[in-house]
Amino acid sequence: MHSNSSSLFQSLRFRLIASVVSIEIIMLSLLVWNNISIIQATHTDRLRDTATSMIQQIARTSGNYMVAVDYASLEDYLSNIIDYQELSYLVILDRDEHAVIALGAFPARPWPVADTHPAQVKDGSYDVSDVITVAGQPMGRVLMGFSLSLMEEAIRKSRTRGISIAAAEIILTVIVTVLIGLGLTRRLGILAAAAQQVGKGDYSIRIPIEAADEVGRTASAFNQMVTEVSNRTQQLEAAESQSRTLLAENRNLVHTSLHVQEEERKHLARELHDELGQCITAIQADAESIRDLSGNGDRRIETSASAILDVSSRIYEVVHAMMQRLRPGVLDDLGLVEALKEELSTWQDRHPEIETNLDATGNLDSLDERINITIYRIVQECLTNIARHAGATRVSISLSGNIDSLVLSVSDNGRGLDQSTPSDGLGLVGMRERAEGLGGEFMLTSEQGAGVTIRIRIPLQSEDR
Amino acid sequence: MRTIPVQLQQGCTGKQKLLAVIICCLLTIPAIISANEKEGCQQTGSLVFGILPFISVEELVFRFTPLVNYLSENLQVPVRIETAPDFVEFARRTHEESRYDILFTAPHFFTRANQKAAYRLIASVDSPEMWAVIVVPEQSEIRTLQDLEGKRLATVPPLGLATLLVRKTLFEAGIDPDVDLDMVITPTHDASLLSSYHGVTDASALMQPPFAAASKKVRDSMRIIARTESTPHIPISVAPRLSDACAAAITGLLVNMGSTPEGKAVLQHNRFTGYRQGDPAVYEKLNELLSR
Repeated sequence: MHSNSSSLFQSLRFRLIASVVSIEIIMLSLLVWNNISIIQATHTDRLRDTATSMIQQIARTSGNYMVAVDYASLEDYLSNIIDYQELSYLVILDRDEHAVIALGAFPARPWPVADTHPAQVKDGSYDVSDVITVAGQPMGRVLMGFSLSLMEEAIRKSRTRGISIAAAEIILTVIVTVLIGLGLTRRLGILAAAAQQVGKGDYSIRIPIEAADEVGRTASAFNQMVTEVSNRTQQLEAAESQSRTLLAENRNLVHTSLHVQEEERKHLARELHDELGQCITAIQADAESIRDLSGNGDRRIETSASAILDVSSRIYEVVHAMMQRLRPGVLDDLGLVEALKEELSTWQDRHPEIETNLDATGNLDSLDERINITIYRIVQECLTNIARHAGATRVSISLSGNIDSLVLSVSDNGRGLDQSTPSDGLGLVGMRERAEGLGGEFMLTSEQGAGVTIRIRIPLQSEDR
Repeated sequence: MRTIPVQLQQGCTGKQKLLAVIICCLLTIPAIISANEKEGCQQTGSLVFGILPFISVEELVFRFTPLVNYLSENLQVPVRIETAPDFVEFARRTHEESRYDILFTAPHFFTRANQKAAYRLIASVDSPEMWAVIVVPEQSEIRTLQDLEGKRLATVPPLGLATLLVRKTLFEAGIDPDVDLDMVITPTHDASLLSSYHGVTDASALMQPPFAAASKKVRDSMRIIARTESTPHIPISVAPRLSDACAAAITGLLVNMGSTPEGKAVLQHNRFTGYRQGDPAVYEKLNELLSR
């Protein structure tokens, strides 16, 4: 209810109509009040002037009849005057205050006291009197009474007419204002609706220009603005699309590059294992044979054979280590979890001061090779970063797989990462690229002194399992 | 009536004594008169001063209000002016109703009033006899009565003294006013004068006193071509119901009006020199005029 009334008061249409109608009502009320006052004053003044004029005329002209005691002629003369509608009585008094002529409704004795103005009359009769004089000598008195009923009726009619006109004007104003308001606000409404459509991205909308007024000019400017915004948006969309394409191509390139790199590493590791490993194994076998055959003969042969055996063992270790870095064999042989455990174990061997924890849940055995190597490389990179920068005492790795996705979380309790400072390294970028290369998401959260958590979510397709 | 004792000083000469007596008498007269006046009319309640409508009502009230006020103050009785719409009505009210307590009218009307309603003459205007005049505009070609033949002559109503006198004069000049000229009746002397002044008629007949009282501008632009025989001046009479004492009081006031400053002012306003005791015999000769 409150919001309805609030929105009502916020309505331009309502405020426009309410303002105009309020002003109209106030002004017309003042006008009607003023007119009624003027009408009343006019009517009362007219009656006063009429009465004054009539009584003065009678007082001036009746003297001769009074002196001549020609009351018949005077009555004949006055009989025309009594026909005046508002005149209720007319009495001529002689010098002894005796009524010598009485026309109309004879007033009760004592004779009515003259009123000063019709507006002050209380009894409905405006009574006036004047002295009849001849050559300055009083010869009697004339009394006249004017009924106020006609005047009051005229005032009432004028008042009714004035109020009716004012009411009609208010109604007309309301209608015209409502129509104008509707027309104006309808077009503003169209403008607002069009703006909302534009806000939603619909740049095809255009407002019809109905008039060359302010709203029409606003609509024209709006259309022009929408055209400009549409063009700019199209340009931006094209640029964005191009960027997105380039990014996708770049990501694909990176992904391909990583894949090629992994394949190459895998191939190299296999070559090292198959070729170099076999050769070293053969060398070791030969060296052992030589050492064994030399018996207790020549010590130099035994020493040389042992040296060859040591060197070949050393070469084998180096090659094996290179093979592990290029392609951990356990990943292919025992799966992701075991590979991670081994990697973590190896890493902790190098960093015994750091407590580690690996928590793997869900079905992680039948993941696609690309996913396995990606997760493995990311964990590898995380551990490298922790060892280099974190100064952490504890590292937790969580890996969970469900039917839809695989989620990896690596967190430490190190010094954290200042994300406002761009990093010079490519480790984080590489991790992101690896994750996004599989359609996944890469998230990093960190606070100063509160460690770093890297969370990766990779969607799983049916073929990925 | 009360008297004021006068103690004469011894050693005075007879002439001086006589002078003293006269002075004393003169001094006591107003007091005596005043005492009579005050006692004379107070029983009547009020008095109606009827004046013949020989001039317009306004002019009539203007001229006679001082006189009426003078009488009222001295009689200590309200005295009111009244007139009538015309001569006929005035005469009727006089004769049939004795409406007016004090009658100020033309001489011949008094004669009738005396005869028909027993009005008593108490005083007359103390002026030479009056007469009627026939006047024409100064530029008029009318010079004699004979020139009036075929012309329009304004005059007062037939009962008016001016009309009676003019008709007699015309007859004596061999002119029949009913045949040889057109007599135009106007309500008053003023109206008669102004009708020829404004060119409505060729000539006007009116009594000389109203003509003399007309405005100088009007008077100077008119020329008198004839005057009638004289008649006694205006009589003042009273209705028979008034007591002798009241009549005497009124008479005393009128006759002695010139002895007080107020009375003199009233006389001056009326352009009268004074009033004198009325003599009925003077007005008897009007019977001949009325019989025509």
